[in-house]
Amino acid sequence: MTAHAARPATVTAPPGTWRLGRRRWSVLIDRRALVAATVLGGLLLLAVAVSLALGTARVELTSTLPAVVGVGEPRDVLLVQRLRLPRVAAGVAVGAALGIAGVLLQTLARNRLATPDTVGLNDGATAFAVASVVAVPTTLAPSAFALVGSATAAALALGLSGGAGRRGYRFLVVGLGVGAALGALTQLMLARAAIDDANRALPWTVGSLNSRAPLAVAILAVGVAVVLPLAVLLGRRLHLLRLADPVVLALGQRVSRIRLAAIGAAVTTAGLSVATAGPLGLVALLAPEIARKAAGPRNVPVVGAALAGALVVVLADLLGRTVAAPVELPVGIVTAVVGGPYLLWLLLTTRTRRIP
Amino acid sequence: MDRVLARGLVPAALVLFLAVLASLAFGAGEVGPARAFGALTTGTDEDARFAVLQLRLPRTLVAVAVGLALGVAGAVLQAAARNPLAEPGLLGVSAGASFAVVVAIAAGASAATLGPWVAVLGAAAGCLLAIGAARLRGTGDDPVRLVLAGAALSGLLGAGTSVVLLLDQRTADEVRFWTVGSVAGRDLGTLAQVGPALAVGLLIALLVARPLSALSLGDATARGLGHRPARARVLAIVAVALLVGGAVAAAGPIAFVGLVVPFLARALVGPDLRRVLAVSLLLGPAVVLVADVASRLLVRPYEMPLGVVTALLGAPVLVAVVRSTRLPSL
Repeated sequence: MTAHAARPATVTAPPGTWRLGRRRWSVLIDRRALVAATVLGGLLLLAVAVSLALGTARVELTSTLPAVVGVGEPRDVLLVQRLRLPRVAAGVAVGAALGIAGVLLQTLARNRLATPDTVGLNDGATAFAVASVVAVPTTLAPSAFALVGSATAAALALGLSGGAGRRGYRFLVVGLGVGAALGALTQLMLARAAIDDANRALPWTVGSLNSRAPLAVAILAVGVAVVLPLAVLLGRRLHLLRLADPVVLALGQRVSRIRLAAIGAAVTTAGLSVATAGPLGLVALLAPEIARKAAGPRNVPVVGAALAGALVVVLADLLGRTVAAPVELPVGIVTAVVGGPYLLWLLLTTRTRRIP
Repeated sequence: MDRVLARGLVPAALVLFLAVLASLAFGAGEVGPARAFGALTTGTDEDARFAVLQLRLPRTLVAVAVGLALGVAGAVLQAAARNPLAEPGLLGVSAGASFAVVVAIAAGASAATLGPWVAVLGAAAGCLLAIGAARLRGTGDDPVRLVLAGAALSGLLGAGTSVVLLLDQRTADEVRFWTVGSVAGRDLGTLAQVGPALAVGLLIALLVARPLSALSLGDATARGLGHRPARARVLAIVAVALLVGGAVAAAGPIAFVGLVVPFLARALVGPDLRRVLAVSLLLGPAVVLVADVASRLLVRPYEMPLGVVTALLGAPVLVAVVRSTRLPSL
């Protein structure tokens, strides 16, 4: 055996990627992922502009984005900044959070059906948020409690299933059971509470952007802003979780630590999004699918999923506001109805591909 | 007599007997056990007599019928899918039945006169969808796939139900009491309506037990023993649809009973399907009655929906099934 040649002085980037930077300090950028993120971002911007323009009083499409920063006719600025922007911004934040949570959980469980709704995170967040509304009526409480709730659900599911390791399916089914129990608790609380409390708690059980609290949106935005870079940093290592545990260990990575970080990020984003808009069905399932279709199978498309989630929620909200006006369909119902057929198709056509 | 079977039947019968007594004796109202039994023996206390005979007795009978149907449906479905997690509620069968009923009412039918057949059709459709989604035939290495497919399907059908309810106020008013499972306020008329569907379903389930238990040896062996696997599965699905559709028509969707009952039955008498079915016939009503009594007592003077209690009972069982070192393939 001859000794290995010394590391070449210039490292060539793998096909399909760009290498930016010099020597040790460099990043690989996947060209396809970059294109996908740009396209999704552009679509999102367009959807936001349309969403700001349409409503009972119209604003010219071209003047919406200037109005966001306060340029243009006072009427337009008022409409956009005061009335529509908070709602659209909440939609963007919620969608991005759900997209991140979905893509992390799917990669973690190696199953495309693993989302915050199916593994009980949403139920936990809902149960705790409802509990806080019924018991501790302050504005901040639902956010904090929803976070605690989704963390509790995740901890229960993980603890009872013995970790989300090779037996990923255990984690999923235990999560399903935990979710069912917490859902029953929510029903119980709503049944026992006084009617006023129950009415105030109801928005947390149906996904809707109608009754978002400004503070919750702000907290969610901060959460997404913190988690997104972390998740992107995690992304390359998450990719490894698709391999068998011994292989990952042999590559010198600590599997349990990667898992813990990913679960923490998923819990944070899922819990905060429930605290803002209630449980939105199927967004966390659809967004990673769209991102994967766009960005290809090479990476875990964290940014793509966040953008796609925001796009889905903004479009669904737009649809819910306009399609049956003056009746306003809650955005959660729109996402469920639009995403449902896709989910069915996914269920009926996928054969044995369990790894996302 | 089969000693193993007796080991399961005796405790099940005992629990059922106690549950029936409790269901007659306890209520959310003022008539307690002492007054209830006094009314039955002496017959002077008119209020208590009314509460026991007119309110609690029909309710108890409906709960017995529903529990019987759901327990047997769970056992049959698990054998047909060879999957201990197959449960009508988890698989979206109940959600299919609810959705069908809600759509029928929105289309102009009346909740009072609507027979069980709409619910049966919905249950059959839900069953076929979940099975098509998970490829029932030889679930192979992945018993969880079926459950996830069912969870996703239930969510989808639930969303469809909410859309209909949101758009149609009349339907919402008629159906609200019914979309959460409960046996409160059901009378013998309900039982007469769904009785035929339940009876036919039960008959088919009992007839198909032998071929189904042969299927646990694998399709090839079952064929060698002279059974027809495909036909047995189709009959099993028909039976499940009839039983679950009837139960949903009578009491609304009640989750987890079909999981808990066969699980307990297998713990008592082992994996033989015929024994499991026999024990489930008694355990199903017992479980539903216990849950119903709990739903009356936990939040007095109100009542909790029955579905909430069964979910709280069933979730730990689900966890226990999954935690058992490896999922037994049936």
